[in-house]
Amino acid sequence: MSTALSSTEARFGGSPLNGIRDALEDLGALLRFRSAALDAKGRRRMRVAGLAVLLLTVAAAVVPAVSPGAQTGEDVGRLVAIMPSIYLGFLVLAVVSAAASGGGREIVPREQAVAWPVSSMTDHFGALLLAPLNIAWLLQAWTLLGTTAYVTGHPATLWATELPVLLYLVLATALGAVVAWLLEWVRRGPRGVLVVRSLLGVLSASLVALVLTHHVTDVLDQSPTVWVFVTALNGSVLSWGQWLVGSAVLLALAVGLVLVGALPARLAAGRAPREEHRLESGIYEPRPDALGDLRALVRVDRVGIWRSLPLRRGLLVLALMPGLIAFGGQLGWDRLTILPGLVASGAALLFGVNTWCLDARGALWRESLPVAPALAFGSRVWVLTEVLLGAALVTVLLSTLRAGIPSVPELVALFFATLVVAAQVVSASMRWSVRRPFSVDMRSARATPAPPVVMVGYSTRLALGTTFVGLMFSGLGETDQWHLTALIGLLMVLVSGYRVARTASRWEDPATRARVVVTVAG
Amino acid sequence: MHPDSLTSAVAIGPLPGTPPAVVDIRGLHVRFGSVDAVRGIDVSARAGEGTALLGRNGAGKSTTMRVLAGVVPPTEGVVLVAGLDVRRDLLAVKRLVGYCPDVGGLVPRATPWEHLQLSARLRRMSNWEQRARDLIERFELGDAAHRVTSGFSHGMGRRLSVALAAFHEPEVLLLDEPFDGVDPLGVSATLDVIGEARARGAAVLVSTHLRELAIQACSTALVLRGGSAVARLDAHELAGEEGADVYRALLD
Repeated sequence: MSTALSSTEARFGGSPLNGIRDALEDLGALLRFRSAALDAKGRRRMRVAGLAVLLLTVAAAVVPAVSPGAQTGEDVGRLVAIMPSIYLGFLVLAVVSAAASGGGREIVPREQAVAWPVSSMTDHFGALLLAPLNIAWLLQAWTLLGTTAYVTGHPATLWATELPVLLYLVLATALGAVVAWLLEWVRRGPRGVLVVRSLLGVLSASLVALVLTHHVTDVLDQSPTVWVFVTALNGSVLSWGQWLVGSAVLLALAVGLVLVGALPARLAAGRAPREEHRLESGIYEPRPDALGDLRALVRVDRVGIWRSLPLRRGLLVLALMPGLIAFGGQLGWDRLTILPGLVASGAALLFGVNTWCLDARGALWRESLPVAPALAFGSRVWVLTEVLLGAALVTVLLSTLRAGIPSVPELVALFFATLVVAAQVVSASMRWSVRRPFSVDMRSARATPAPPVVMVGYSTRLALGTTFVGLMFSGLGETDQWHLTALIGLLMVLVSGYRVARTASRWEDPATRARVVVTVAG
Repeated sequence: MHPDSLTSAVAIGPLPGTPPAVVDIRGLHVRFGSVDAVRGIDVSARAGEGTALLGRNGAGKSTTMRVLAGVVPPTEGVVLVAGLDVRRDLLAVKRLVGYCPDVGGLVPRATPWEHLQLSARLRRMSNWEQRARDLIERFELGDAAHRVTSGFSHGMGRRLSVALAAFHEPEVLLLDEPFDGVDPLGVSATLDVIGEARARGAAVLVSTHLRELAIQACSTALVLRGGSAVARLDAHELAGEEGADVYRALLD
């Protein structure tokens, strides 16, 4: 998106209301521009996906309230105690997602948007609009709506219970954007990277200190999200006065934060992306010649990842965040099997689902090199696998620090869960990369390997598949049959291997390769 | 010469007694879905010959180049490079060809040196470093040799793409829009590389919209229109005002 003052912003300087109206109109125009690129099939898919999300959201908000045990079950008391923490968890997710993507995703990629005077306010509104197009956001939002309905929702007053939750979702997302834009502004300033890293270091050290001194619960009890939950509760117990005040405050905060976010967005847009420039202008000392063709290819593929700002930042967040949360929450071995799938899916969503995008405009040149297609394909599989496994391993190591001594079946289950989800995600990523390539340059921290709507589809499918595997191995880890766990794990890895081999044979077809490289090269 | 007579004077293939063509394309068709990008083009280029591919946007120049580079497979027709069929001997053809693509052509997060290193490895080049340094210096990229290419200007990227294409002294040098956005010194270095390639017996194909530079670089010009070849003529016939009129008439 534009980083310069635009005509739209000049008008904003004159009258805030005009600026907001113009930004919304511009946002509408950009959305129409994006949807115009879809064919009839794409539009149908988008409508179906939108309807599915809407139905699932309604289901998440309603079904738990009428399910057995709602409001009266044995687990309700325990859930009530952790509800403010679940609310807080959503806020943390909103902040981390927005900060990791440099303020939020772009409606139109920066290199395409330069032709138009897109204001930073339009950019900010666009980023907010795209924030829910993320499976982690959706899952957390559904969890929030569902657990609130289960714990407090009377069917007759469900709307009053869920309304504050919906307002909180907007508020938390907008607050996440405000924090992310501010961080981006600081990061782009003098010694910004150092300042932001120091801040993160202090924050991480504080969290570790809280965990080690057993003060986490005390802090969570003071969370302002307690008040959000109480407002939702007021809706269910018909305390209309308090409910009205609470909801009005939530609404005012949500609207205020949405508008206030335009200010740090504008400040950030006025500064050059120093970290990008540092990566692009730095000197990379030459290394000795690689000893084989595969190593030479892998080396170039690797630099595509580690010298790309969004990929570096994303991988770091993915490797550390779930592990630190598991460390803080002292997750047991039975629940750790979920984490590798979460991390592997997230890592694939950074670039793996459109893996040839690492070559970007260099795809044509690389395809003209005399190398067997299978070797080029193998290099990409190798690099993707090592990244997924590496990130998952960091998470697993962090999360096992406070998980105690495992039993052999638990250890085997975690090992194979990691291996299976990595193979599963690599297989799906390579298949999608060949089937549906996109032309993107992973230069900006806000870039994604595919359009936002497509990313939702990919993340949903990855999340479903890997969560199923994680839960299955969690169950297997509870049995004494570790031989069976290993056998099932090996079979699943073989199935994924077979699917990768099938995609590799498609890649051997020159017409398929031509379609991919010509598309990726733009 | 009147354009109509040029159109009718399309002469494809070597004349009797001339050396065999290094590039021999007959009846090339390339289809992308329902779009015909190339519709029956014939091209031949002999060793030491420079051929300019001229024509408007979408005439089929870049697609023809991509077919010769082994990047896009032909839908129909015969494409031979040094007697090797691009369909059957794809890897061998790629070893013989040096290709500068029309768009970008550079891996964004790799440095020029890493591009050259990969090319040298895959082309089994030994003692390549001196040649690499020479080319980098010639194209005035010495200061940027170890910086990633995503920070390059358009002209720098074009210059590096030409250097990469010429690096292994290929038998067929394919340069697609090599002068686009390049400064005069870069243009001069590119012309030198083309001249040297022709002098050592390489067939050079240059696609460009810059008619005067095409005339300087090549001996023959092939004008394409709507995916078909409409004229093959001596490059000097396109020189000057009269040549410009002839060219304009061929484009319409």
